Amino acid sequence: MTDPEGTTVTTPLLEVTDLAISFSHPRPAVRSVSVTVDEGEVVALVGESGSGKSMTARAVIGLLPDGAKATGSVRLRGEELLGLPEPELIRYRGRRVAMVFQEPQTALNPVRTIGWQIGEALRAHGGVRGKAARARAVDLLREVEIPDPEERLGYYPHQLSGGQKQRVVLALALANEPELLLADEPTTALDVTVQAEILALLRRIRDRTGTSILIITHNMGVVAHLADRVVVLRQGEVVEEAATRDLFADPRHAYTRQLLAAVPRLPGPDERVHAVTDDDVPAVAADAVAALEYDDVRVHYGSRMRGRVLPAVDGVTLRLERGQVLGLVGESGSGKTTLGRLAAGLVPLAGGSVRVGGEDLVRARGQRRVDLRRRLAFVHQDPEASLDPRFSIAEAIREPLDVHAVGSRKDRDVRVTELLDAVRLPASFARRRPRELSGGQRQRVALARALTLDPELLIADEPTSALDVSVQAEVLELFADLQQRLGFACVFISHDLAVVNKVADQVAVLRAGRVVESGSAARVFGAPTHDYTRQLLAAVPVPDPTVRDATGPALREQHIAS
Amino acid sequence: MGHYLLRRLPSALVVLAIASFGIFALVRMVPGDPVSSLAGPDATPEARAAIRADLGLDQPLVTQYVHWLGRLAHGDFGTSYRIGGQVKDLVADGAVNTIVLTVTALLLAAIVALVASVLAVVLDNRWVNAALSFGNTLAIALPTFVTGLVLILLFAVVFPVLPAGGTPPDGFLARPDIAAQYLLLPAVCLALGAGAALTRFLTEALRTELRQPYVTTARALGIPRRRIVLTQALRNALPSAVTVLGIQFGTLLGGAVLVEAIFTWPGLGGLIEEAISGRDYPLVQVLLLLSVVVFVAIQLLTDVIHAWLDPRVRIGGAS
Repeated sequence: MTDPEGTTVTTPLLEVTDLAISFSHPRPAVRSVSVTVDEGEVVALVGESGSGKSMTARAVIGLLPDGAKATGSVRLRGEELLGLPEPELIRYRGRRVAMVFQEPQTALNPVRTIGWQIGEALRAHGGVRGKAARARAVDLLREVEIPDPEERLGYYPHQLSGGQKQRVVLALALANEPELLLADEPTTALDVTVQAEILALLRRIRDRTGTSILIITHNMGVVAHLADRVVVLRQGEVVEEAATRDLFADPRHAYTRQLLAAVPRLPGPDERVHAVTDDDVPAVAADAVAALEYDDVRVHYGSRMRGRVLPAVDGVTLRLERGQVLGLVGESGSGKTTLGRLAAGLVPLAGGSVRVGGEDLVRARGQRRVDLRRRLAFVHQDPEASLDPRFSIAEAIREPLDVHAVGSRKDRDVRVTELLDAVRLPASFARRRPRELSGGQRQRVALARALTLDPELLIADEPTSALDVSVQAEVLELFADLQQRLGFACVFISHDLAVVNKVADQVAVLRAGRVVESGSAARVFGAPTHDYTRQLLAAVPVPDPTVRDATGPALREQHIAS
Repeated sequence: MGHYLLRRLPSALVVLAIASFGIFALVRMVPGDPVSSLAGPDATPEARAAIRADLGLDQPLVTQYVHWLGRLAHGDFGTSYRIGGQVKDLVADGAVNTIVLTVTALLLAAIVALVASVLAVVLDNRWVNAALSFGNTLAIALPTFVTGLVLILLFAVVFPVLPAGGTPPDGFLARPDIAAQYLLLPAVCLALGAGAALTRFLTEALRTELRQPYVTTARALGIPRRRIVLTQALRNALPSAVTVLGIQFGTLLGGAVLVEAIFTWPGLGGLIEEAISGRDYPLVQVLLLLSVVVFVAIQLLTDVIHAWLDPRVRIGGAS
């Protein structure tokens, strides 16, 4: 493009200026956001929940929720998109700007074949039809590296794995060769090894086609791995913008520093060399009773009658000493959640035995079972779903005391205040309802509720996965503090290796219902002996852009189409 | 598909077995018995005992039940106590009329619901929605005998374009155009309630589908909303709508009794009324069992259609 004086001026591909989005709600979702994306550039929009990052992306593609009012300007190669009527927006969507979403499980139509859905994307912009469309669909699936593309065209989404579904969503977005790809948390719902593959694929697509990418994420590792430039958002405003290397090396804004500091880290490859190599299992007396013992445990799902028996847990033997934290890590389907539920006797056992404090909970019946249950407690992933919305916070925390008829009413109220104090919530919260609390506060309440009966064993299933990083850091610190002080044993289940590294003494790495490696956290993460553990560790995107160029090629080689 | 049906069959048979016993017991628990209604008020105890023995009602209940089942298995439905003649013939005559009426009503309801709900969702216009919701409420709230009489008054008396009642004189197949005229009013009357309920369900199901993430994906690809409704949302909403339609069929069978009375439609409705008030055990039992058989068959059919429409049921997943 040339301006009147004859000098070349480059218009950015995407130019968002002073974007503000509000609903009838008093606080605007986006206050003032300006972002530019250049030709072939990968820009990351980073922020925690409520920062307005997703809304910004939706405004770019004209898919804001009903009732949203947007002001400012969104220009694609200088053409204004904001405020365009639907029939005109449709010509941009998919053809010039395309979008990839977070949850591949629901982003595809479950009753139409993959081929049909790609065809529909092509038809939307009057592109190729018939044989040519089929050939194009096969090309697209090949481009997103799906094996046997011809055959996969006839598949329905439920016949594909999560990673493959996300590849198909990507193929749909790329169908009409858009200039700009918006990716809204494209790997958040995926396992780490799959996440690494999708990130590598996104980079290759950019290198091959020159498509610009605006990636929305909360994960600093993803940012470091993929982005050229980073825009940090907080409460609907840009707080910092910098090239990725500069941002990680020298964050200017206090919030950015806080965000980076909150990210739990794994020992880097160079630190791993010096890591502990001996398997330092704490010395215990041979006759000491373990807090939790799995002995050759087996669990099956499905029924023998239908002839489909799937082993969820396949011969696991593990031992958790009193006062220790055992981290269970693994990808989806590894059986980690099943093992946790097993400790509470919530899953029928197909073989082996589970002992809590030396007692067999699974086979206990009646009052005995109730008494044993008192010794353990659960903290679930989603505090929003695990607290009854009609209970006040005090009622929620007191419920276990009421159920087991502990002490007088007054004693119970005193205990509630004690517990609120222990999880660092003000006593005034007692009368509030869960919806009046933030996610992090709710998870503290869930923790208080779990500790009500002084459990010997706590089972925490992904307790911080639904939280923002800075909130996660606070909750983890609180957890570690309480665990030290109260001395309960804990099974800590998480897909996030860095989180487990931070809290666990012992770690067991699970895959397809079996333990592939176990030992002290420092040893397993510092000097892994099993290939799968090394693969998992390598797949975690390191929040350091200088590492990506070192590990990038390695990832490419070990790429396995999931 | 055949395999799927085969897996459902045992439970359907169990339902039928339980229903047959329930019907048999229920009919005998109703106060009054066929003997007094046959013998009249002045009969001597001897005459009553003779009739009782003749009908086999002096036997123990279980024996009666086993005999009844045994005869049913051989295709012998028994003879009517009061009307006389074979139950088989009585039922066969009425059954054709009732089935033609209810199936027509079912198709009408399905078509109306499909058109109305798709229109409502595609247009997404306040006035269209208000009008549909008004019509819906009216159709559900008004009892059949009111809508029936209003329809007769309007289309057979004020504007005499359609027959007020009865069945086509030459049967349904000889002159389909005339048969259609006879069918129209009673079928519409019967279909109104079911159609309205189904419209409401399908409209809501379509709206729910439109909030699903896959619709956002489609919109982000630049596919027009109208096309998404027709080619994607509808395809997802249909399986559950078919299940609702199957349940509605039971309501239609019940409603047919009233509609048949209003439009002097010689179906099973009149026969059921006559059989129950006369305590005509063999006739009542067969009629009730028949409706259970039809209902169970319809449920099986909707399950099969559901599986056929939903690949997640049809094809096992790899993940």
